[in-house]
This record gives sequence, C-alpha cells and structure tokens, in this order.
Amino acid sequence: MSDPSESKIALIGSPNSGKSLLFNRLTGLNQKVANFPGITVDISAGQSLANKSVKYLDFPGVYSLQAISGEEKVAVDAFIRALEEDLIDSVVCVVDSTRLEKGLIFALQVLEACHSYNKPFVIAANMVDVLTQHRMHFDAEGLAEALKVPVLPISAKTSAGLEILPEALAKAPVPSQKFESDIIASDESINHLHAQQLAEQFGPKGDLLINTQTRLDSFFLHSWFGGLSFFVIMYLLFQAIFTWASPVMDGVEATIQWLATAVLPLVPEGMASDFVADALFGGIGAFLVFVPQIFVLTLVVGMLEDSGYLARAAVICHKPLRLFGLTGKSFIPMLSGVACAIPGVYAARTVDSPRKRWLTYLAIPLMPCSARLPVYTLIIAAFIPAQKALGGLVGWQGLAMFGIYLFGIICALLVTAVVSRSNAELRSDLPFVLEMPPYRVPSWGPLLRNAWDRCQHFVTKAGKVIFVVTVVIWLLGYFPNQGASLGDSWLGRMGQWIEPIFAPFGLDWRYGVAILSSFLAREVFVGTLGTMFGIEGAEENFISLAQQIQESGLPLGSGAALLVFFAIALQCVSTLAVLQRETGSWRLPAQLFVSYSILAYGAAILMFHLVEFFA
Amino acid sequence: MTLWDLRQGSSAKVSSFKASIESSYRTRLTELGFHPGEQIACVLSPSLGAPKLYQVNNTVYSLDDSIASLIEVA
Repeated sequence: MSDPSESKIALIGSPNSGKSLLFNRLTGLNQKVANFPGITVDISAGQSLANKSVKYLDFPGVYSLQAISGEEKVAVDAFIRALEEDLIDSVVCVVDSTRLEKGLIFALQVLEACHSYNKPFVIAANMVDVLTQHRMHFDAEGLAEALKVPVLPISAKTSAGLEILPEALAKAPVPSQKFESDIIASDESINHLHAQQLAEQFGPKGDLLINTQTRLDSFFLHSWFGGLSFFVIMYLLFQAIFTWASPVMDGVEATIQWLATAVLPLVPEGMASDFVADALFGGIGAFLVFVPQIFVLTLVVGMLEDSGYLARAAVICHKPLRLFGLTGKSFIPMLSGVACAIPGVYAARTVDSPRKRWLTYLAIPLMPCSARLPVYTLIIAAFIPAQKALGGLVGWQGLAMFGIYLFGIICALLVTAVVSRSNAELRSDLPFVLEMPPYRVPSWGPLLRNAWDRCQHFVTKAGKVIFVVTVVIWLLGYFPNQGASLGDSWLGRMGQWIEPIFAPFGLDWRYGVAILSSFLAREVFVGTLGTMFGIEGAEENFISLAQQIQESGLPLGSGAALLVFFAIALQCVSTLAVLQRETGSWRLPAQLFVSYSILAYGAAILMFHLVEFFA
Repeated sequence: MTLWDLRQGSSAKVSSFKASIESSYRTRLTELGFHPGEQIACVLSPSLGAPKLYQVNNTVYSLDDSIASLIEVA
C-alpha cells in the first residue's frame, strides 16, 4: 500500500452481487489479506492480471452505507476511512444488473461518498450474461448519462466486458452530480425513489424466472426432506473429514517416518539424535499429520457456503435455534466455529442483535473446532476399530467422530438455553431477514486457496507454539538423567505432583502434563504426548502415537473422559484474546474460561464413571 | 393483513409498516425492496413456523414472523 506509483482500486458492493468473483477474475488467485491499519476486517488485496501497477482491494459486501449490524459498521467504517485517508485512488461499485433497483440504492450512496471525497467512480453492472440468457436488456449508456459516471455492463462469470474496465477506470471522473440533500444522512425514501426511477427508466424489464431456485428451495426447506437432507449433509461432512483426508494423512505420516529414518543416521548419537527423534519427529510430526483434515474441513464448509446451501441451513435452523435463545443467523458463526472459533467469533458480527450475538459468543467455544480434531482423532484411533458397518456404508470411527461433534453442539445449545432463560432480558426477539443467494456450482479455485491458507496459518501460527512447547517439554523430560527414565525426569516429578488433579478420570501424569500444556492451544496436547512417548520409547521404531496409547493400557473410560473434557474446556489463548477484542473487555472471556473449565472437569469425571460402570 | 399472513404462491402490495417497527429496520427493509407500493410474492412457506421466503425485485429473502408481521400488505 506504500507504493505511490501503484493505483489502488476499491471494489465495493452488496452481498451476492458477484463482487468477489469479479475480484478473482481481475487478480487471478494471487491475493492476500490486505494489511489495513487498525481494523479487524477482511479486505483482500490483489494485483491486477492486466496491469501490474494496479492493485484491487476487495471490501466486504454490505447492503448499505447506513450500517445496522456490527459487522457492516466495521466494513463501512473501513471503506469511509480508506476514502478519507487516500488509501484508495478510485472506486468500482459492483451491482447486480438483474436486480438493478436494489443495487442502485447502494450505488447512489457510494457515488455520493465518492463525490464528497473526490474519488473517481465507476459502476460495474454485473451478471449481464443472465440478462442475455433471459433475452432481457438494460440501457447502460442511458444510466451512465443520467448519473454522469461510467456504467459498464460486465459478467464476472463469463469475463465479458472486463477488458474495458481498466480503460474506463483510467478515464473515470469524480462524480459531479449533487443531489438536493445529503443522501447518506437523509431519509431513505429520497434515495430509494431516485433508484426506483432510474431502474424503471433504464433497467431490464420483466421478472427473471427463478423456478429452479424455488424448486430446490421447496426440497431443501421441506419439513421432511429438508430436515433429512440437512442431517445427511452434516453427516457426510464428518465422514468426508475421515475418508478424504485419511490417505493424505497416511502419506504425511509415511513421509515423516521416511524423513526420520533418512535424517536420524546423519545426526550424532546421543542427545542431539534423541532431540531430533523425540521433539522434532515425535512432537511436531504428530501434529502435522492432522493438517490434511483441517484442509478437507475448510474446503467442505466453504463448498456449502459457496453453493448457497448455508443460507438455507440458517432458515432450517432458525426456529430450533430460537428455542435455545439463538437465531438462524447464529448458525453460520457456529458452523464457522467448527473450523475454528476465531473466524466464528468474527462471523458473529452478522448477528445484528447484540443480545443474540452475546449468546452466540457463549456457544462458539463449545463448537467442535478443528484444533480439537487431532485430539479426537488420536483418542478415537486408539479406542475405536477402523471397521465399517452396514455393508461398508458407515465407518465406526466416523460415527464416533460424529457423536463427539454432536456432543459439543448439544453442550453449546444447552448453555445458551439455560443462560437465555435465566435472564429474561436476553430472550427478546429481533427480526430475521436473510437474502437467499441463488444456488450455484462452487468455484473450486478460491475454495482450494482458502483451505490452503487456513492450513498454512494453522501450521505457522500453531506450529510456533507447538515447537516451543515440545522443546520445553523435551528438555524437562530428558534431564537430568539423559532420557534414561521419564518418570525420574524434572517433568516426571512435576507431573506426579499434579497427577491427583487428573486421577479422578483415570489419567496418569503424562496425560496431565499434556492437558496442562494444551491450555495454550488444544492441538499442543498431541505434540506434548508425542514427545513424552518418544522419550520413553527412545530406541524403538516409530509407531503411531495412537498405537502407543493403545498399548499403554489406558482404560476406555479415561479415553471417553478425555474426549468430553476437550469438547467443553476453553483451551485456546487466541479465542480468549479475540473475544476480548470483540466484546471490548476481559469479562466475558474470563467468565467463559473459568466456567467451561469447571464444567469440563465435572463432565469428564461423570463420563469416566459412566463408561467404566457399563463397560 | 400482514406479510406473514400471505399464503404460499400469492402476492400482494406493501401498504405500510406497523408503528412498532424500529426505524433502522424500516430503512433496511426499504433498501432491500420492501417498501409501500412494491409487489411481494410469498414463494415458500415451510411448515413448523420456519421463516418464509418472499420474492421482491428478482431477489428472494427469508423473513421470520417477528418482522414479516410488522409489514402490512393489501
């Protein structure tokens, strides 16, 4: 953003106007999140494919510059600030030409803002391919003349008209039109009447046939088929995590083993070799194995969102979620929380009611996030056989994973139900208005990139913590007796001191140490445990951690208790920090941390005794 | 009659907003196309009281009873 010769162009538009697809077409897949000072909103930046000195900035989709939700306000403020502080040189407002009136209401607000801040302005009327398909037409030239700004009929889908965008931008004027009153601040009816008039005069005539959408909606929102398909889709999501990711996971594991056998003979015998074997390959390797699952999970959730299904899922969930004090809009933040609580907390800004948003914050940390996945996978792999039932249709491990995920979700709902009922203030209703995007085939390029970015972020960010923790754990576990006996090491002595805490659910001190280290981040559990088992079994061949746990004779009840503990406890420093930033105080994160820790501990003891009683 | 009472497959024109509606929501609904004089069709009315789907200006929105019952139609 610092290069003065670079021309910076903002893309702004309503949700579902095709703005992000246009951004992808203009920049290719070479983008990154823009580093905007002082804001916590996702603005992607990408260099133009056509001209290296042009940079496009993709602002989050908003319906209006008059924000009504927290998320909109952050996005609108970022845009206004970019105008004010000359962070952008010109503005492209993307409107859906099939819904011109709605697009123009927003475009007129942006036009007025560009007029005030002296910025060249262009309207990109997207989706003209749909108009052509329906033999409809709109008068772009007439509209351009009326507004005295360029109006470019384009299609981000087919790339039609994109070639004239750079030229039009270079020549684009600062909007000269001045309305009788300040539109952003004025009564909505003036702006609206103007947009309606323009759309009637220049816009496409007639209704689009959205029969296919309605037909699909009547299936996906049907009281039986809708509910059934919802459960099938969610179930497939979890099976996919196992079946699609497992060959890659096996590949990663094999690569780590191969690397270990190739590297270890090169390292001098003794401490250095022990360190490389236990801390590097044992600790970090154990965590890297789970990256493919995070990739698949992000990919599948992104696919559901891109296809338009997530909005339908929000409609399906609205009534049931209302029973628990939430709204259908809480569904998307909660589902994002299945990937990671942090984007979930950010996504909760779309919940316009502050009270519902607060309740959504309570639910998100209980959603089964991907950092829990390594722990769940490890415990499930150690206790549940990798067999299939019902003629190969259902895998027991997938079923167990589905079960523990469901458990987390049920906990989240019970907590919000209890809290919303114990405080009558929290139960008041607020409107639910949600646009239903058209169904479409997901665009794989951006989805794959997003999943890749998430994995990279996960590896680099969590990787650092895990590296430090595994090194510390290794040092404490290796000394003072050079790894001769883990039990007599410093770590062993410390561990035995805390052993009574976790003894009520049948875990020995090694698990206790791993649990304590996981309060930094859950996935550290796997690395820590991997390092400790590595020190213990120093000279043996590399066998999987799950197998080592299996052979260590851990009772089934303790495995179940571990699952329950990890499902509830809020062991994530990053989530606490983000909650603090979003709510503006440490009050909520502190309350959640303490209460979920106590709840997790109690539930784990209960689970241990239940399983041991019945097993 | 309110928008919530509109049966699946039928359409009506918005006549007014009820007085109890918050002004920020009235503004947003107007921006989305729900304004007096506009023709709205109820395209889908799922059972069990789930939010209904309304088509306005080639866009489909889902509204729940708490907001759809504040929009008067005729």
